[in-house]
Amino acid sequence: MDDKYKFVEFLGLRFNVANDLSVLVSAVLVFILVFALSRKVTMRPGKAQNVLEWMIDFTNGIVKSAMPDGSGKQFNLYAFVLFLFIFVSNQLGLFFQVKVGGFTYVKSPTSNPLITMGLATVSLLLSHYYAVKKFGFGGYLSNYARPVKFLLPINLLEEFTNFLTLSLRLYGNIFAGEVLLALIGTVAKSFGAVTFVAAMPLAMVWQGFSVFIGAIQAYVFTTLSMVYISRKMEQE
Amino acid sequence: MAGLLVLGANQVALGDMLFILISFIILALLVKHFAWSPVTKMMDARSEKITGDLDYADQERSRAEKLAKEREDALKNSRAEAVEIVSKAKESGETQKKSIVSDAHSEAEELRQRAKSDAEKAREDAMASAQNDIANLSLEIASKVISKELNADDQKSLIDSYIKELTVNESK
Repeated sequence: MDDKYKFVEFLGLRFNVANDLSVLVSAVLVFILVFALSRKVTMRPGKAQNVLEWMIDFTNGIVKSAMPDGSGKQFNLYAFVLFLFIFVSNQLGLFFQVKVGGFTYVKSPTSNPLITMGLATVSLLLSHYYAVKKFGFGGYLSNYARPVKFLLPINLLEEFTNFLTLSLRLYGNIFAGEVLLALIGTVAKSFGAVTFVAAMPLAMVWQGFSVFIGAIQAYVFTTLSMVYISRKMEQE
Repeated sequence: MAGLLVLGANQVALGDMLFILISFIILALLVKHFAWSPVTKMMDARSEKITGDLDYADQERSRAEKLAKEREDALKNSRAEAVEIVSKAKESGETQKKSIVSDAHSEAEELRQRAKSDAEKAREDAMASAQNDIANLSLEIASKVISKELNADDQKSLIDSYIKELTVNESK
């Protein structure tokens, strides 16, 4: 859309204040959520601990479905944090947007491609790192020429398409959700009270759907991250 | 999106990727320290405890079954024992009764015998003393009545015949 952002130059790098603030807010929210739920950890779990354990079981299930042989236990924490962070990020822009003087400061961080690319980079770097760790550097390189040699260019290309589809799928879904929400907002303001009342249920429906999309996309991103990692760690 | 990419072309904020990388790592570390480790540790401990408890329950149940069987056997045995004890008591009571009755019988018999023999003896004694008394008495009478020529032999035969007569009379 036509949002304007403040930029800050630091150490020769350019920072988008809106992105960084949103990431920070999401991270703090995730931490507060998890911190609050894990205060009284006991053998017989209370309500809060039950919720947290349910979430942990859920993300452990994602990891297990990608790596059923139990080798994925080291990724349980990563999947948990990734899922929660993306979920909270997706929901953030739906109910919490800060605009001051025409500049956006807080929105869904995942509605920016750079942020989703950053997350995808983390996942894919992890997959490459563990592949090298498992097969050695030579084995890792030779895996690109499997199962047959002429697939080498396709396998190389796949690395880039994986990166782009993983990041842009998340970005596209969340960005589209915010765009449509903003469009409904402009419709509401266009003809006074009549359109405001008419747009209200539309906005509510779309917000509900966006919550659903946000949850699904967090799940998809986590699942695909685990699938990419598991595919790197097995020899075809 | 095209607009954003065009816009981004002269204003790509690569620092954002660095920022999210660092903040994500910090978030992961914090979550691990404050929530993940204690909760997963507790979950592992709980699953271990549950397995342990299940094993323990199995063990205890088999032990209880064994114990119940032992108790049942003991109960059966004790019932048989009780029956045995009762019958034994009955038997010993019976024998005791018999022995008491027979003792009493024999004692009574003995008493009767003794009484009988005592009576017999008393009669014989009485008889003997009477015989002596009569002999002396008749000797005195005879010496007084016929205090002349009667020697001892004649006198004796006279007395004996007299006593014979007396005993024949008595036994009649």
